[in-house]
Amino acid sequence: MAGKSSTYSLKKQHRLKKPLFKDLVDWVRPDTRGFHQCRPAFLRTGAVNAASGSAYVEFGSTKVIVSVFGPRESKKAMLYSDIGRLNCNVSYTTFATSIRGQGSDHKEYSSMLHKALEGAVMLESFPKTTVDVFALVLESGGSDLPVVISCASLALADAGIMMYDLVTSVSVSCLGKNLVLDPITEEESYQDGSLMITSMPSRNEVTQLTLTGEWSTPKIHEMARVITTTRWLRPYCDYIEDEGHLRSTCFKLHPELRPKNGRGKPRIAAISEVPFSSGEGGA
Amino acid sequence: MVGLSGGEKHYIQGGIAQDLRTDGRTRLAYRQISVQTGVIPQANGSARVKLGGTDVIASVKAELGKPNYLYPDKGKVAIYVDCSPTAAPMFEGRGGEEFSAELSLALQRCFLGGKSGAGAGINLSSLIVMEGKMCWDLYIDGLVISSDGNLLDALGAAIKAALSNTGIPKVNVAVGASADEEPEVDISDEEFLQFDTSGVPVIVTLTKVGRHYIADATSEEESQMSSALSISVNRHGHICGLTKRGGAGLDPSVILDMISVAKHVSEQLIAKLDSEISAAEVEAE
Repeated sequence: MAGKSSTYSLKKQHRLKKPLFKDLVDWVRPDTRGFHQCRPAFLRTGAVNAASGSAYVEFGSTKVIVSVFGPRESKKAMLYSDIGRLNCNVSYTTFATSIRGQGSDHKEYSSMLHKALEGAVMLESFPKTTVDVFALVLESGGSDLPVVISCASLALADAGIMMYDLVTSVSVSCLGKNLVLDPITEEESYQDGSLMITSMPSRNEVTQLTLTGEWSTPKIHEMARVITTTRWLRPYCDYIEDEGHLRSTCFKLHPELRPKNGRGKPRIAAISEVPFSSGEGGA
Repeated sequence: MVGLSGGEKHYIQGGIAQDLRTDGRTRLAYRQISVQTGVIPQANGSARVKLGGTDVIASVKAELGKPNYLYPDKGKVAIYVDCSPTAAPMFEGRGGEEFSAELSLALQRCFLGGKSGAGAGINLSSLIVMEGKMCWDLYIDGLVISSDGNLLDALGAAIKAALSNTGIPKVNVAVGASADEEPEVDISDEEFLQFDTSGVPVIVTLTKVGRHYIADATSEEESQMSSALSISVNRHGHICGLTKRGGAGLDPSVILDMISVAKHVSEQLIAKLDSEISAAEVEAE
């Protein structure tokens, strides 16, 4: 388009191109991931010195920092409570989004973070006190709330708050006929429907679930399969399609990594044969 | 909150386990529902829904606005809920604001569909007056007058009834206006367009008390809940939105089970609501 004027229009810059992937089955995601693949993640606890516990998490370009303060005495105005209070707050930096200050659109995230965590924290273990969970989204790259929730549960664990289990969260977007896991902002802005699930994996419990858009029964079941087969805590090898180790350390793929002497490390069943009293291991 | 003695709590929980609740209903039965339409003369559409002791009003107002530049062929819909402190003392101050925000969010999720507008109960393309220039902005406001549990289902029913009562004035765009100018419009005050509300979903909330789940919980029953799942289902049996409340976790298989039960319950609720809405429309005329 050869326009008459050459003035710089900010609005045009942010206008996303209409993606081609609407009804096609074999499109490629903008970051060349598989549909059911998460972004590369980086997780670290102890990011803030002043806090009782903190964590920093990156999922692709989504970067989140969460600090936990307390348990500390509830404010005087609060009524007596024989269980602890969880106070959650999610905020965005002004530079987190491509349009400045757009993060303030997400006012509901604080209450959603609270709902996702309250089922996992043993509130009765700190009566009359409050635990503050402050989350800051440094960079918003899509699936912000799931990353905030996972990061907050790490920070709570780092602070030594008693929990039934760590809380993990993931979202799935429905784009045309496809389900994509862990969507980025561009995919989120064109989604037909989305689902966010928050669960405690080792208890096999869902603490929070939200769903928008129109979903037929087969889609719901496909979604349930995608989410439950995604390995969050256990390492998963996609070469032999089993969990327990990563592809990079798979003995079938890298036989040179197999231990030379004997038959490798003792299996878990063998450990139980070791007597409890001795530390030398069946000497 | 509802203050209950140990005996009362036991009575409620025991009744639910026996499939005979304190008001004589079975676990999946709704209370008496009554619909009245056209209750607010200033609005384009309105309805009042009573569900047992729960009483809510929904109003729909339409204003001309400009479409979002990302979606030039779609109108806009906003849903807000106000909990009046006259209904319950806990709605006063910040607690009420938070509760209103939670209800608004759940309703937005259930009625507005995905970001691209797919799965929305309201066809956003039908709100467009002139592509990229002018559209109708619908403001849907809910008001809680009296609260006796299951507010979300009652608000969902009230919004559905208000939308079928809504008439949008016909707009004539002056022809010949160039692309850069603001279009001149003539809003008719005699001709009104009705919405197609067949796609608007209903919300079914299943509240888990003990090992069982119940539909349409009263506030006493809600005080005993461990968690609740609000599922919005449209006429085709498709799920349009889902929210979970309550701290306790749920097993994934229980959730899938609840979804299929909600679909079954929604068929009866849609049929009941349709007959109530058409009866109310006849009465209003």
